[in-house]
Amino acid sequence: MPEMRRDPIVGRWVIIDSDHLKGPADFPKEDNTPTRQAICPFCPGREYQTPDEVDAVRPLKSAENTPGWSVRTVPNKFPVLTSDGNLEKEGIGIYDQMTGIGAHEVLIESPDHDKGLTELSKEEMQSVIGQYQGRFRQLAQDSRFKYVVIFKNFGSSAGATVDHTHSQIIALPMVPKTVLEELKGAEHYHQYRGRCVFCDIISQEYQDKERIVAENSSFLAFCPYAPRYAFETWIIPKGHNADFATTDEGSQVHLAQILQDVLKRLKKVLGNPSYNYYLHTAPIGYANAACYHWHIEIIPKLTRSVGFEWGTGLHIVPTFPQDSARFLRDA
Amino acid sequence: MSLLRKDPIVGRWTIIATERARRPAAFVDPQSTSTDQKSCSYCQDIHAPGIFDFQGVKVFNSSTPILDNSKPFARQGHGLYDVCHSYGNHEIVVETPLHIANMAELPLEAIKAVFQTYASRMKTHRKNPFIEYVLAYKNYGVAAGSRNIGHARSQIMAVPVLPMRVKDKISGAQKHFEHHERCLFCDMISQELKSKERVVVENEHFVVITPFASRFPFETWVLPKKHHCDFADGIEGYEDSLASIMKDILLRFKIGLNDPAYNYMIQNSPVKDIATFKENYHWHIEVMPRLTRVAGFERGTGFYICPIPPEMTAAFLREVNINA
Repeated sequence: MPEMRRDPIVGRWVIIDSDHLKGPADFPKEDNTPTRQAICPFCPGREYQTPDEVDAVRPLKSAENTPGWSVRTVPNKFPVLTSDGNLEKEGIGIYDQMTGIGAHEVLIESPDHDKGLTELSKEEMQSVIGQYQGRFRQLAQDSRFKYVVIFKNFGSSAGATVDHTHSQIIALPMVPKTVLEELKGAEHYHQYRGRCVFCDIISQEYQDKERIVAENSSFLAFCPYAPRYAFETWIIPKGHNADFATTDEGSQVHLAQILQDVLKRLKKVLGNPSYNYYLHTAPIGYANAACYHWHIEIIPKLTRSVGFEWGTGLHIVPTFPQDSARFLRDA
Repeated sequence: MSLLRKDPIVGRWTIIATERARRPAAFVDPQSTSTDQKSCSYCQDIHAPGIFDFQGVKVFNSSTPILDNSKPFARQGHGLYDVCHSYGNHEIVVETPLHIANMAELPLEAIKAVFQTYASRMKTHRKNPFIEYVLAYKNYGVAAGSRNIGHARSQIMAVPVLPMRVKDKISGAQKHFEHHERCLFCDMISQELKSKERVVVENEHFVVITPFASRFPFETWVLPKKHHCDFADGIEGYEDSLASIMKDILLRFKIGLNDPAYNYMIQNSPVKDIATFKENYHWHIEVMPRLTRVAGFERGTGFYICPIPPEMTAAFLREVNINA
């Protein structure tokens, strides 16, 4: 019989469609191998095709905007938000509008056109995480910004338009809605019980064990109890920490390890699926650090959301999280 | 420079691309929904008794239900998590005996009967004290989540919890009411009718707008001009008007956007304690062609990037000749 489960952070109910359960073999397969592009603007030697880099890891100390980098961040050529101009707010009758001030950057994760995140070496993956934090800290300095989102679209059905492996960073002049919902839920929980809801989730996941995918000394990867999507997986620091920007170098090494580990498992179990991941952390200058706990949410794109889900926010999930976790654990 | 716009109901921001806006024609997305009539199970079942029958509309229990009311409703706790069995009703509304895929092509009388059927089913389900919300919605076309069926149908779900997005709308509307002692939606309608730039079409009782902070290109809302919190009671006496405006907007999609996949859902008030919502909530229908994909940014932030301003999509839809 199908089951309804409630997310303890934001209070969202989901339906697990247990009468029509789907395992890894039941989802349509996609071919996400990068295709050779003669004119890929992210490949070394074509640095002139992107806007000037804002940061890069250059092991051989080569000059800016030339080859020799291992990770390179550039402003998006087609930004949804731009950083030139003033933040102007306007009311139009009952509506609110403001100018699209922000930043939109592309983080090219490897010079190698044929490699994905799962093929990077340990050191290369660590450079990616280091660059995430570097860009995050840099953008957080701009007083116009309230939030920085780091995210990745992999595969065309998850919204990627360029094959060459990359993530994106968007700085926003407000805190996004899904984060506000988490903050509100977490603050409410903290007020009630004096504990962090994420820390409580971690300890319950250790008790239940069945939804754990992987762990190392700093991080836990698990499939949440009330997921929105099949094979949804979260990576969360075991120790309480609200702010990704404060993660030390040792933890960054562990983060690189576990993120790559989970992505490899998803690739193995689901046959290189399209996916999104994004990092949720406390807003810039957030005062209630005791309530919130940063984490990464990874969502393979296996199903389509339908009218019912759009209309209600009530997601229908064809896989139990303990089954997703078991498949991923055993990979 | 793009614009950031805030939805006044749920407080969700949308980034509206203006300078790089794609032209309406760039979204045209042909959709094939034709299936063989001989293999259509709805055509074969046309003489089977439904659980509800009304002027050519038949309601069946879903053969693959995700909600089930055969066991009594009970909530449980699991540590800090909450769980219950998926209690409720999941019904399929077969809209016509004819093998026609798109509601846009049904005669007005048939469309009217479909909406009357929703109203009647809602009135039945809300008598059940465990039901908190009833959603009537349609997925048309594969990109909108439908199977390739070729026979017009929609679905009804009665659920024992208040879904997240419904809660958002309700609490936004309640906040506005507390502040102004006016209905937010009524305020929105009067502003839209004054400015006209986002009005697609109107008749005596309904208006169709592209919302100020649209999430998707060509997103439209159908709003009753007269305040009413509840769809099932609110459409009484206005059924003809509703059928004609729904056909109108669906034809504009079909002709203007080349038969795109779309969803619509009736955004109704919760069914419990309905008196609480009487003044502050206003039922409406969201109608959305499915032309773009949701990616990591939208999923992670709840922020949407709309590649074309709603003023442009409204103008485009206004000019579609539906009598051609």
